[in-house]
Amino acid sequence: MEKELNKLQKDALNDISVADSINILQDIEVKYIGRKGLINEILKGLKDLPDQEKKIIGPLSNKVKQEFISALEKKKNHLEAVEIEKQLKDEIFDITVPGNARPIGTIHPLSQIQFECENIFNQMGFAVMDGPEIESEYYNFEGLNIPADHPARDMQDTFFLSDKHEEKHGGLVLRTQTSPVQIRTMEKYGAPLRVIAPGRTFRNEATDASHEHTFNQIEGLMIDKNISLANLKGVMMEFLTRLFRKEVKVRFRPGYFPFVEPGLELDFSCLLCNGKGCSACKRTGWIEFMGCGMVHPNVLKAGGVNSNKYQGWAFGFGLERLAMMRYGIEDIRHFNSGDLRFLKQFKL
Amino acid sequence: MKISLKWLREFTDIPEMEPEELGKIFTLRTAEVEHVIDQKKSFENMVIGKVESVEKHPDADKLIVTKTNISDKTVQIVCGAPNVKENMLVPIALPGSYVRWHGEGDLIKLEKAKIRGVESFGMICAGEEIGLEPDPEGIVDLSHLNVEAGTPLAEALGMDDIIIDIDNKSLTHRPDLWGHYGIAREMAAIFKTELKPFKTNVSYPAADESELKIEVKNPDLCPRYTGVKITDVKIESSPKWLQQRLLSIGHGTYNNIVDATNLVMEELGQPLHAFDAAKIKGGIVVRRANKDEKMTALDGTETKLQNENLVIADYEKPVALAGIIGGEHSKVDESTTELILEAANFAPANVRRTSTELGIRTDSVQRFEKSLDPNLPSKAMDRLCELILKLCPGAKIVSTKKDVKNFDESPTLVTIDLNRINSKIGADVPKEQVIDILTRLEFSIIKNDSNLVSVEVPSFRATKDVSLEDDLTEEIARLYGYENIEPVLPDQPIKIPEENIERKLKHYARQILSKGLGFNEVYQYSFYGKQDIENCLLPEELHIKVDNYLSEDQTHMRISLIPNLLKVVGKNISFEDKINIYEIGHTYEDLQEYFPKEEKKICGIIAANAKKYRGTPFYEAKGALESLLSFYNFDDLELRKGESLCTYAHPNKYGAYYDKQGTEIARVFELHPLVAKKYNLDKVKIAAFEVNFTALAANGWADSNYEPVSKYPSITFDVSVVIDKQVEVGQIMDQIKKSDRELIKEIVLFDLYEGENIPVNKKSCAFTITLQANDRTLKDEEMKRIQQDIFDRLQKLGGEIRGLK
Repeated sequence: MEKELNKLQKDALNDISVADSINILQDIEVKYIGRKGLINEILKGLKDLPDQEKKIIGPLSNKVKQEFISALEKKKNHLEAVEIEKQLKDEIFDITVPGNARPIGTIHPLSQIQFECENIFNQMGFAVMDGPEIESEYYNFEGLNIPADHPARDMQDTFFLSDKHEEKHGGLVLRTQTSPVQIRTMEKYGAPLRVIAPGRTFRNEATDASHEHTFNQIEGLMIDKNISLANLKGVMMEFLTRLFRKEVKVRFRPGYFPFVEPGLELDFSCLLCNGKGCSACKRTGWIEFMGCGMVHPNVLKAGGVNSNKYQGWAFGFGLERLAMMRYGIEDIRHFNSGDLRFLKQFKL
Repeated sequence: MKISLKWLREFTDIPEMEPEELGKIFTLRTAEVEHVIDQKKSFENMVIGKVESVEKHPDADKLIVTKTNISDKTVQIVCGAPNVKENMLVPIALPGSYVRWHGEGDLIKLEKAKIRGVESFGMICAGEEIGLEPDPEGIVDLSHLNVEAGTPLAEALGMDDIIIDIDNKSLTHRPDLWGHYGIAREMAAIFKTELKPFKTNVSYPAADESELKIEVKNPDLCPRYTGVKITDVKIESSPKWLQQRLLSIGHGTYNNIVDATNLVMEELGQPLHAFDAAKIKGGIVVRRANKDEKMTALDGTETKLQNENLVIADYEKPVALAGIIGGEHSKVDESTTELILEAANFAPANVRRTSTELGIRTDSVQRFEKSLDPNLPSKAMDRLCELILKLCPGAKIVSTKKDVKNFDESPTLVTIDLNRINSKIGADVPKEQVIDILTRLEFSIIKNDSNLVSVEVPSFRATKDVSLEDDLTEEIARLYGYENIEPVLPDQPIKIPEENIERKLKHYARQILSKGLGFNEVYQYSFYGKQDIENCLLPEELHIKVDNYLSEDQTHMRISLIPNLLKVVGKNISFEDKINIYEIGHTYEDLQEYFPKEEKKICGIIAANAKKYRGTPFYEAKGALESLLSFYNFDDLELRKGESLCTYAHPNKYGAYYDKQGTEIARVFELHPLVAKKYNLDKVKIAAFEVNFTALAANGWADSNYEPVSKYPSITFDVSVVIDKQVEVGQIMDQIKKSDRELIKEIVLFDLYEGENIPVNKKSCAFTITLQANDRTLKDEEMKRIQQDIFDRLQKLGGEIRGLK
């Protein structure tokens, strides 16, 4: 009897292992543990056995049955998995169909670059200041050492606003530069100072591919006891190197702005040719970038800062140029065009 | 300003070098050189041609075909200019030469070409195409040169010079650099060469035979006036050397006397004038003009003068505008035999103001407005007399050198502290080098002990340009060499800079609107036109007007971002069915105070092609706005309907959000259909929101309120009610909330329906309500109690609860 059972188990497990479909497996289930299944038959016959044999065959046949069921389950799971895998693989699915679009908007490229500039200067310890876009003639000119009838006023075609006049301040203008924020900041905070002031500026000139009457500048001002032109070079080199994520060199050359003395222009090494000279830099190896210089004592005075005690520099550069260079934008007028076909390209 | 290298070399020995290199050095030391033109190079393969015949082009109305002699042969050239005539001498660019097409763009190498089927061997050039003065007629007529056909153009024009073109703006502060001698002085300092003294050889009669009288009535406006009378002059064309010299730096030529005044101006930077003495009645009076006095200027301008304008007059009338331009009446012409020469100094601000008022800008204005050295007229007068006597050997000086001086001749002294100068430059410039630099620039060292050096400023630098230590810092730094300053980062500050909260919130707003809510940021101009004010029914009196606006749609400063954004919608709607845009920018309101009220606003617009859109734009805009506001923790804003005057909003689809102090923070609305129509947007559904960002940011921002998540399960149930249309959803939700403020955690409207199966005047609203307690699992009875209470409240509002048995 025991032998018979062992053989039966061996046969059953063998049947399971060779079965290759769920249907066959079901037949095997019926064959062994169905109502008239071979294992069940043995279990049914148990009651007729002598007690002693019952004690042995009983547990054994139960064990055979349990092991059979467990092997059957395992095989069944395996065959099902194979089946499903096959079904899934046979399914036709096109992953190249475009995904369901989720609307995502864009930030104006000038806002993006302004934000980046603010961050870099912030890390170098510069606070960010704001000032009004409608300025008095005093803040835009006189306070910056540009008296009325000074030929330097020609350098900045100005939008004048009507109907307002005040003794000290004169008339109102659209600020031609962010420099008025220098005076306002000095008046408010005194020295030492380390600030930038980004913002919209205006010049009364006709627009074309490289000129806009409305544009954006970042003004910088650093005042303390021993601030030098060497520091200005250092800060700008660091700033540009961070902004363009590559080593950038800068150079000074003389420039004239009444609110600084010495007055300078700062150029940086051409990013395309690394200073060797190419068409982008007109073969000079340098890109004209900004006006700067040591703050004129008259300007410090206008801001209420003692020029015997404090000295420092200021600079101002245009954001449009930076953005145009970075993205290869060919026409400055795109920025204010509101053309979504242009704006939607700047994802960052 | 154009500077001739040949001319400079008459004053100092500039070392031989590539012209480009010279330009670069001058740019790094003094002022920006825009171009360096090597004339010989630029006129390569260009010759003088003599036009032999002119015929019409067989195949083009506006073209002609010429036969032009270029010495050994005659070539055929096609040309488009109307002024080409037989026997005319013209500049010919032969194949292989470089020309600037119509004077624009880059230089282009010329090839032999067929133009509309006719062969053309090179081209006949207009001035601007080959770097000469443009001639309004078209082609430059060189017949006056009187040279053989075939002569190389450079030789014919005497153009074998190198011309340095300096950016005028970078010379604004340097009155001393507006003539060749001044530039030569600068070059000598840069290259450490010797500057030859400027010498003249002329003598004036000891006794005056002229009765020339000069009277200066306004010495404040005319610090110096020198005058000389010369007789027996003969007016003729200038000799070739003089013509060439003026032509090479872009001057026209007129006659020997006028050319002589221009030459001396280009040499010394001092403008000069020659009057026909026969036409001057009595003597010279420098005075303010009488009101409405008239004068015809040399350029033909009829001027009507004001009392502020300074004139040179004779005893009857104005004969010149001081420092600006001569008068037509007393100009030097072929019949002139006697001259009164003027070399003067005028107050820069007055010259500039008069020039601007009258719209006359001349070489003279350009120099006087920079504040010229009052010592210069005397030197320039000597030079002019010397030159005129050379040009007209028969001429006689008959007056003494009249000289009316009204200026302070005491020298300007500046004491500089070398330590401070070095601390500003950020380099250690040795004292010997400082002294050397200043001396080469003709500053005299008066006192020189320890670190303090006293310096006398030469008079040609003392007008406006140099008066402070800082001015000398520039002189020292630029000649020391800016490239020798090593970059040094300043020490980091001990204190971290103060945070600009408003800016931070602005950048957040961009992130939320663009990256979170799918809007695109646009920039628009800060002004719009009167048409926009009318279109949007804005109050004109709140606007600030631009005096010198550029176009009719840019006349008023904006008080709202809406008008320009509507134009953006118009531009884009043809290629996008759905537009989500916003702008963050300033608005400016005239509140009758000096400075306007300038505020930062955010304005968002949702616009959709009405044909393809099924939503309610108002609710979209409201949802976007409330999402934006939720980031700023503004939960307690109160929405009110129709309390603000917003002219461009739909009167009924409008709501504004107020903070606890009653300040309007934001508004949301659909565009008034009449406004939409004005912008041709009647087929577009448009809603907008405006946020007063200045007010929003003034409230700062709060940290998020954290509450521990309840451990106990929540229960949800739906309530559906049919109710009169007039009852607002807000009212219903308020009533629901009141049932149990503690346990009701959320009320969500998931359906709002009007139409079929619902009585007219009624609507159906369905809500999902979530209940939850923080301290226990809610019991069924609690839910039932709240549910019943809600039913009761809604029924009291006149609602009928759906699905209720």
